[in-house]
Amino acid sequence: MARDLDWSIYMARAQAGDRDAYRRLLEDVAPYLRSIAARHFRNSGDIEDAVQEVLLTVHAVRHTYDPARPFGPWLVAIANRRVVDGLRRQGRSRAREVALDAEHETFAAPEANYHEAASEARALREAVESLPPGQRDAIRMLKLQEMSLKEAAAVSGMTVAALKVATHRAVKSLRKVLGRQDRRT
Amino acid sequence: MITTPDLIESLVANAAPVRRLRPPVARAVGWLLFAALMLALLAVSHEVRPDLALRLRQPEFVIGIAASLATGVLAAIASFLLSIPDRSRAWLLLPLPALFVWVSTIGYGCLINWVSLQPGSLPFGNEAGCFALLVLTGVPLSLAMLIMLRHAALLAPTRVAISGSLAVAAVTATALSIFHEHDASAIILIWNFGTAVLLVALGGAFGRRMFSWVAYAGK
Repeated sequence: MARDLDWSIYMARAQAGDRDAYRRLLEDVAPYLRSIAARHFRNSGDIEDAVQEVLLTVHAVRHTYDPARPFGPWLVAIANRRVVDGLRRQGRSRAREVALDAEHETFAAPEANYHEAASEARALREAVESLPPGQRDAIRMLKLQEMSLKEAAAVSGMTVAALKVATHRAVKSLRKVLGRQDRRT
Repeated sequence: MITTPDLIESLVANAAPVRRLRPPVARAVGWLLFAALMLALLAVSHEVRPDLALRLRQPEFVIGIAASLATGVLAAIASFLLSIPDRSRAWLLLPLPALFVWVSTIGYGCLINWVSLQPGSLPFGNEAGCFALLVLTGVPLSLAMLIMLRHAALLAPTRVAISGSLAVAAVTATALSIFHEHDASAIILIWNFGTAVLLVALGGAFGRRMFSWVAYAGK
């Protein structure tokens, strides 16, 4: 392949420090690398990232190229390596991220989200109902009716310290209950 | 994010002349010469095992030592070939025949000696010397290999680390059988093969990290 021979010569010159040959080589191989990357990535940003990763690697290991051997396989081996790394990285980040699509989009106006808010409120109410009586009362008075510790103590006849403990425990068990629901859905 | 033409310009600006690597087999020979030098130094300082002449007349000992040496040589060649991007990954299989012979001789020796082994006669005691020998050969050989193959950090670190560790392990095991006297098969098995498995496993698990560490330190 004539192109391969050119690349091989350019790289041999680049190894000796010929910058013009090196620039011509990199500009020449970039579209070729882009076509390799396009087989594996759809997003144009990902493709360009992969091309740049390959160029950086080629630069870092350019001393491993032996001009007696064809340039194409050397380049393709590096490109495949970087593409595989890129796919792995993508797989890792996909496991933690959710791509937003039309269904996830919503409006800023509160009415648009009323449905979700209502179901969340119901879940919270049910969770509060499921608490033991002492904790339930403490949560209701202190968090839902926003009483102060003193007022709540006066109304319920519990001490301030007991109310604090009950609230702390209630929040802890609510977190457990709601967290479990989150994971289930 | 930097655009690709800008990246190319910055790479071109940094394109200092580089020294081409010598052919992989020649570099492997260089590493093996270093290993031979290490063994020679050990022979001067450590003395060979007293019964070496006797053992060299036993075919299974000779086959075993030849096989571990061959495994070391072939695995070293394979590592240097694998570290070059365009060489086939099938080179990883190169040391397998020798490795197979080596493992079989250990297994065979084990089978023969196991029966004659008296309970409680496992010769523990000079383990410290054995361990020192292991570290004395293993560490410099591993470091030399890591530095010579540091460019593999960006290419195929795990593959290269596995075959490189096998080379180090096999050479170390050869050194152990020349310098250390062990007649209990269990100990031979543990030292020879256990060390090899340990080194290869370590290489497989940490090779990537070790290579990138050396690669960054070298920059």
